[in-house]
Amino acid sequence: MEQTVLTPQKSPPKISRLTLLRNRLFGSARDSVLSVILLLIIATFGWIAIDWLLIGAVGPWGDRDACAAAAGACWPFLVEKHRLILFGTYPWDEQWRPLVASLLLLGGVGASMVPRWQDARLIWLWVGLSIAFTVLMRGGVPGLDYVQPERWNGLPVLLMLSIFGLVFAFPLGIVLALARHQDQLPAVRAIAVMWIELVRGVPMIMVLFLGLFVLPLMMPDDITLNPLITTMIALVIFHSAYFAESIRGGLQTVPMGQYEAADSQGLNWLQKTRLIILPQAIKVAMPGILNTVLGAYKDTSLVVIIGIHDIMATAKMSFSDPVWQRYGLEAYLFVGAWFLATCWCLSAYSRWLERRTS
Amino acid sequence: MKVRFVLPAAFAVLAGLSTQVQAGPVMDQIKTDDSLVCLVNTNSPGFSVPDSQGVYQGFNTDFCRMAAAAILGDANKADIRGIGFSDSMKTIVAEGAHIASRSITRTGTRDANPGMRFVATTFYDGQGFMIPKKLGVASAADLNGATVCAEEGSTTLLNIADWFGDRGIEYRVENIADKSARLQAFFSGKCDVMASDRTALSSDRLLAENPGDYTILPEVISNEPLTILSRPDASLETAIYWAFQVMLNAEAMGITSENVDAIMADLENQPKGIVRLLSAESAAGEMAQQIGLPADWSYQVIKQVGNYAEVYERHLGTETTFGMDRSGTVNALSKDGGLLYPDPIR
Repeated sequence: MEQTVLTPQKSPPKISRLTLLRNRLFGSARDSVLSVILLLIIATFGWIAIDWLLIGAVGPWGDRDACAAAAGACWPFLVEKHRLILFGTYPWDEQWRPLVASLLLLGGVGASMVPRWQDARLIWLWVGLSIAFTVLMRGGVPGLDYVQPERWNGLPVLLMLSIFGLVFAFPLGIVLALARHQDQLPAVRAIAVMWIELVRGVPMIMVLFLGLFVLPLMMPDDITLNPLITTMIALVIFHSAYFAESIRGGLQTVPMGQYEAADSQGLNWLQKTRLIILPQAIKVAMPGILNTVLGAYKDTSLVVIIGIHDIMATAKMSFSDPVWQRYGLEAYLFVGAWFLATCWCLSAYSRWLERRTS
Repeated sequence: MKVRFVLPAAFAVLAGLSTQVQAGPVMDQIKTDDSLVCLVNTNSPGFSVPDSQGVYQGFNTDFCRMAAAAILGDANKADIRGIGFSDSMKTIVAEGAHIASRSITRTGTRDANPGMRFVATTFYDGQGFMIPKKLGVASAADLNGATVCAEEGSTTLLNIADWFGDRGIEYRVENIADKSARLQAFFSGKCDVMASDRTALSSDRLLAENPGDYTILPEVISNEPLTILSRPDASLETAIYWAFQVMLNAEAMGITSENVDAIMADLENQPKGIVRLLSAESAAGEMAQQIGLPADWSYQVIKQVGNYAEVYERHLGTETTFGMDRSGTVNALSKDGGLLYPDPIR
């Protein structure tokens, strides 16, 4: 015989936050000792950071000589060098162009994040943005002087490589995932499997080197490829494989009944895929996709190895100036703050998206 | 459409014939474009680094400006491009630029390449060692058992292997690619010795908390003649070589960018050598006609860029953070015991 003991319903006891904290941190003698030690360590490091960042630092509008004497950070360094870090050697008087181009790309990303707008219009948005970005950066049209790609540095290069790389890799990833997730066309499937497994089997650096050195060899003699373009092609190839695997994971969760239901409605393959299968698959695959996006965005800085000057490389340039060469930490903090802010936005978006769909 | 490109070229040829100047095709291209494409390193403190406005500044950069001043009469017509990983020598051979002033060491096998020419050595560098003074070592030969910090994948490591190997000295290498991390390792005592080019060492030393605690050993274990590279073109090579000689001669004669205007105003009363260097009616003018340069090319080089000493002191000398005293080094003029020998302009 089983017996169920019914306990009277009780509302959880109201505990103030302070009590909760005290119970958790100083519940027992051992906990108290550990908490005190940890708090001391945190306080020490916190104090060192505050001392360096604020108390011992030279304010943004101070001068360079004050920095040499100060023990803390040298913020005048960033006031002096922020344009170099953001835009590198792009001609000084024309630097509104990379600024506008970067804002356009960021705006495009913002617009693409709005779920209501995620349809065929995005294709036109990104085609339009790539043309606008190229015209702005490159110039050579009436009113805009030509600027050779060697002078494209810093933020626009980071955004161009990461955003365009991901935007073009995404559709390619869908095609690869669909090709791998079917068995009517074994040859196409084999190609997709080879593509994905080859790319996932080598490090990104190798794909970058392939793009820089091998891709130009495969071009006809009279076409010289700009290193930025070859790098972007390499990044698209690389990211597409990871997207494909995320999306294929989503495809596998779509039950057979959905395919059959679509077939019974008389939809052709394209309609079925576009209207029934992919929306469900992508919804499931979203966390994986955003994970790839975050990783890919941060990995873009690796292009410095093949001589492309993204924001990490321009930060390095900024403290190579002989009179400012002590302030590398400030430069890296600036870049770190940028990556932290943008990555935080992306992960906040992914959390919001998950709450919204669940 | 082709006509648009052919016509200016035809005019250029006609103009060339009428003054009996036979410039090479690269020289012609520079003049047609009214711009001289010069490659520099993107990140080499003291030699070429973008300033806060993103404009390259430094010792090497000034020789780009020298070439533009001599050939086009305006130093600002040098189109200075920072070039990273993709090798500057390859770019020159592939005709992607006119000259490179990028601390390239002139070596036998490089010079054997018919696609490029080493023209004028602007700086003599060499690989050396920096140690903390408290190590108490006076010569690199006493470094037995030392840990050496060096850049990964550079010729530095090969030179160390050669030099220590020949002397049977045992050593251990700490291979660190990033410069900041390498310096951190050295200053914190993780390695005993830092190996690099001596110019780099003298600027790195200043990053220590107490630069006085460190010293650079006297041994120079490699020869690094850093040389301007040009596309093969007889008149371009001649122009760059002699523009550099103008800077050396100007230093030897005490002509600077500051006083050159006063000297020009009073040219008749100057020593013969100065007249030959600056006058359009004398040797300089004769050379201008034969090479195809503006008649006042030597004046423009001195006025816009300065003599060799000015360029050195501006970027590397004792007044700068590098604080490299030039006197007594190989980079002094030959009359001061160095290797820079001004060829006569006459």
